[in-house]
Amino acid sequence: MPREVILVDSQLGNLDSVEHALIQVGASVHITSDPDRVATARTVVFPGQGSFGPATQAIVDGAMGDALRMVIQRGDPFLGICLGMQLLFDHSDENGGHDGLGVFRGQVRRFPADMPAGEQPGSRMLKIPHVGWNDVQPNGEHFYFTHSYYVESADPEDVMWTCRYGRIEFPAAVCRGHVFGCQFHPEKSQWSGLRFLRSFILGGRG
Amino acid sequence: MLKRRIIPCLDIKNGRVVKGVHFAGLRDTGDPVEAARAYDTQGADEICLLDITATVEGRETFIDVVHRVADQIFTPLTVGGGVRREPDVRRLLKAGADKVAINSAAVANPLLIRQLADKYGSQCIVVAVDVRQMHARTGDTEPLYEVVIHGGTRSTGLDALSWCDHVAALGAGEILLTSMDKDGTRDGYDLWITREVSHRVPIPVIASGGVGQLEHLREGLAVERGGADAALAASIFHFGLYTISQAKQYLAEHGIPVRPHESQRGGATLSSAFG
Repeated sequence: MPREVILVDSQLGNLDSVEHALIQVGASVHITSDPDRVATARTVVFPGQGSFGPATQAIVDGAMGDALRMVIQRGDPFLGICLGMQLLFDHSDENGGHDGLGVFRGQVRRFPADMPAGEQPGSRMLKIPHVGWNDVQPNGEHFYFTHSYYVESADPEDVMWTCRYGRIEFPAAVCRGHVFGCQFHPEKSQWSGLRFLRSFILGGRG
Repeated sequence: MLKRRIIPCLDIKNGRVVKGVHFAGLRDTGDPVEAARAYDTQGADEICLLDITATVEGRETFIDVVHRVADQIFTPLTVGGGVRREPDVRRLLKAGADKVAINSAAVANPLLIRQLADKYGSQCIVVAVDVRQMHARTGDTEPLYEVVIHGGTRSTGLDALSWCDHVAALGAGEILLTSMDKDGTRDGYDLWITREVSHRVPIPVIASGGVGQLEHLREGLAVERGGADAALAASIFHFGLYTISQAKQYLAEHGIPVRPHESQRGGATLSSAFG
């Protein structure tokens, strides 16, 4: 029987590709923007693109934020993708500073503009956003990233996988109990991404 | 380490791939969905669809193509061609595009870049910059390039380097830089302008125009040559000269960091990570 997944539509970007990928790995997907529906869900995927700002603050402070916290506190499987992962943390510096859901301890920072791309003097600066395929440790698999802000986790125990860009090593995926977050886009990461999503769906089963 | 990207580009006219596609083992169908799927399987890092239709009917067909391609691939999809206004962007994103490239409309109204970046996020907005080298004048110490629009048929008088600075400052997420002098020649990217722009702007640059052999991809991406973050090519992949995986193998052997093709890795299982 397909695993039922509630895909949260919080107006933070296009859901189609996430839905498509979840269906591909055997989930039965229900898209909703209704906090009551989210609150009763058993498996939740919370994607997001774009930036922390007034829109995310409204989610955090509103009924949707309460619903998301409820699912997480109950211990049901939860996955935040990209901005959806960043929103699980305490606070972001983006757009003048905004609070997150505070499920994980840590801050969301902007990549510094002064990271040299190579060792040699006079080397050009690394580009922001961090766009493209990067490997995560410890397993060395490649995933697709596109972001200008990264998480600075206050609790190393939460960090499942890391990724490096310039001199910054940041969490590529975080996990505590059944709550997961990934900075990369599994729905855009070909087979690596689909395996990740499948593992989330299956892991959530027991 | 972040890898350099290889991006095959399909030119779409009235719903079909123009020039034809001749993959080994595939019939020459000209079907964009079949072509995109083949690239995806070969390990393309992104796929680009460019609408070169001039008619309204053609545009409708293009939206349908985007939708059908997005439905088949699990890799980022960039689309462009004929994007004029915000509703065009919305429709393409709704159809499944991850990024939208704007070109002439950005030159006509640069603030469109900021509006779109504010609304959809910079990661969504690629500005396509088509450039042409100008005739050298007495006293010039280095080549001058101008921005051209409408497929290179119209001059703008804009200096290419200043325009790229402006585009980045307005919030574009990436620049797709095409040399109109080199486009279709198959004798390699214009390395001078590629390098100048790549080293200058704080956002990623995709090199485009002129690839005829694998060496050209290497030149475009090597830091001391073109220094681009990604390499776009059409005909070397369309005509089956090389597969994406062959290109990546060549680049890896020549010191360019690329994402290995998955079938070469065997595919680790991740279930242990989830207990």
